[in-house]
Amino acid sequence: MNDRNISVVLEDIHKRFDANEVLKGISLSARSGEVISVLGPSGSGKSTLLRCINLLEIPDSGRLFVSGEEVLLKRSRNRTMPADMKQVERIRSKLSMVFQQFNLWSHMTILQNVIEAPVHVLKIPKDKAIQRARMYLDKVGIPDKADAYPVHLSGGQQQRAAIARALAMEPEVILFDEPTSALDPELVGEVLQVMHTLADEGRTMIVVTHEMGFAREVSSRVIFLDGGLVMEDGSPAEVFEHPATERFSAFIKAMV
Amino acid sequence: MDFTLIFENIGIYFTGLQNTVVLVSISLVLGLLLAVPLAVLLNYGNNSIRLPIRAYIYFFRGTPLLVQMFLVYYGFGQFDLIKDSLLWPFFKEAYFCALFAFTLNTGAYTAEILRGAIKATNHGEIEAAMAAGMSKLLMIRRIILPSAFRRALPAYSNEIIFMLHGSALASVITIVDITGAARIINSRYYSPYEAFVTAAVFYMTLTFIIVFLVKKLEVRWFAHLQPQSNNPAIEAPP
Repeated sequence: MNDRNISVVLEDIHKRFDANEVLKGISLSARSGEVISVLGPSGSGKSTLLRCINLLEIPDSGRLFVSGEEVLLKRSRNRTMPADMKQVERIRSKLSMVFQQFNLWSHMTILQNVIEAPVHVLKIPKDKAIQRARMYLDKVGIPDKADAYPVHLSGGQQQRAAIARALAMEPEVILFDEPTSALDPELVGEVLQVMHTLADEGRTMIVVTHEMGFAREVSSRVIFLDGGLVMEDGSPAEVFEHPATERFSAFIKAMV
Repeated sequence: MDFTLIFENIGIYFTGLQNTVVLVSISLVLGLLLAVPLAVLLNYGNNSIRLPIRAYIYFFRGTPLLVQMFLVYYGFGQFDLIKDSLLWPFFKEAYFCALFAFTLNTGAYTAEILRGAIKATNHGEIEAAMAAGMSKLLMIRRIILPSAFRRALPAYSNEIIFMLHGSALASVITIVDITGAARIINSRYYSPYEAFVTAAVFYMTLTFIIVFLVKKLEVRWFAHLQPQSNNPAIEAPP
């Protein structure tokens, strides 16, 4: 697992919530520079899979590697837990996440949101962090909102601010959890455009999404999840033109 | 009605004012310092830590402040363990006893206010902090508490005012606070109306100052909740 080009590896990940087994053995590896779209009907485990990668959910079993380092898990009182929280924190700081509900820290201005983790987690000097934050706010197209509070922004602007916050960590992988699902239809475009730019820059992204256009045109790889299992895995051209499963053909038809 | 006797004796009221302000400020500050870690532990501690904290809060919210003060001032002297200890020089002073009871009392109420405010933190914001790689302690310090303090402020401003008025009880155990000064004037001249109206004016002035300061803090802390200045203000329905 020391291949430098592999960012994230999942091996046989299982996760259940009480009686409901959400992930039934997922294996997956993301090379650096890949843009992976994870598709699937609701309840298929897409978000849970993404949240297992940065350990917002702890897998019940299976192995997880992030940039060559295995996340150490232990069993205690019938539950799986991280063996070393310091390691989890270190790994999380290499994986940024963009949430469906943006989750900006509401009592902080946009600039404070963007510099918070770089300054306090990565210990970057504040002036340097501010400089970097302004660059990323510029990149996502809201340089004039640095001193505004999250509630004063539209949903699309909030999500772009959240993307700037994710970028400011200069992460190895950015995890997107349905980033456009909470947005009004006319605001979806501005967020997708920013994500398109990031993909063109060669950033590693894993995107749980319902945006078929994005999956087809921007991502380099598409994964289709259904019933807690990977049903399709391949380039958009392969997967969309020649679905291997009946389920995926039906899914595409239903989405269009 | 003769207020000249008040003006002639105004010095006593200023002594009382000083005692009230010092007593209430110190107990509020110490109570808050006590309440913050307790509120955090109530939310994130395990059962064996939460249980004694709950018992402490239950006792101080479940009994009158006057009873608590009597227990400390009259009650502690009954135990040789305390009388023989190094703490006795403190507990034999009425002033210290009042301070001790007030601090624990406001600490209990404030812990409960903060506990609720912490619990109401938006879970998404907590997940964002975890996803950014923050340790639990960093997250509590940078995200949860700053956000909880803001939510707690209106309820806490009530607690500040209750504490100010509750401090009048200190006069019962010989302390010359504002009420104590009024009682001295009343017993000296038998003019209860002048004596206590003057006390009331002092308390009202202090309350006004507290309300003013809290308002100023609200303007600063609630900037993230205000409509933007270029937006028309929301008008009350007709």
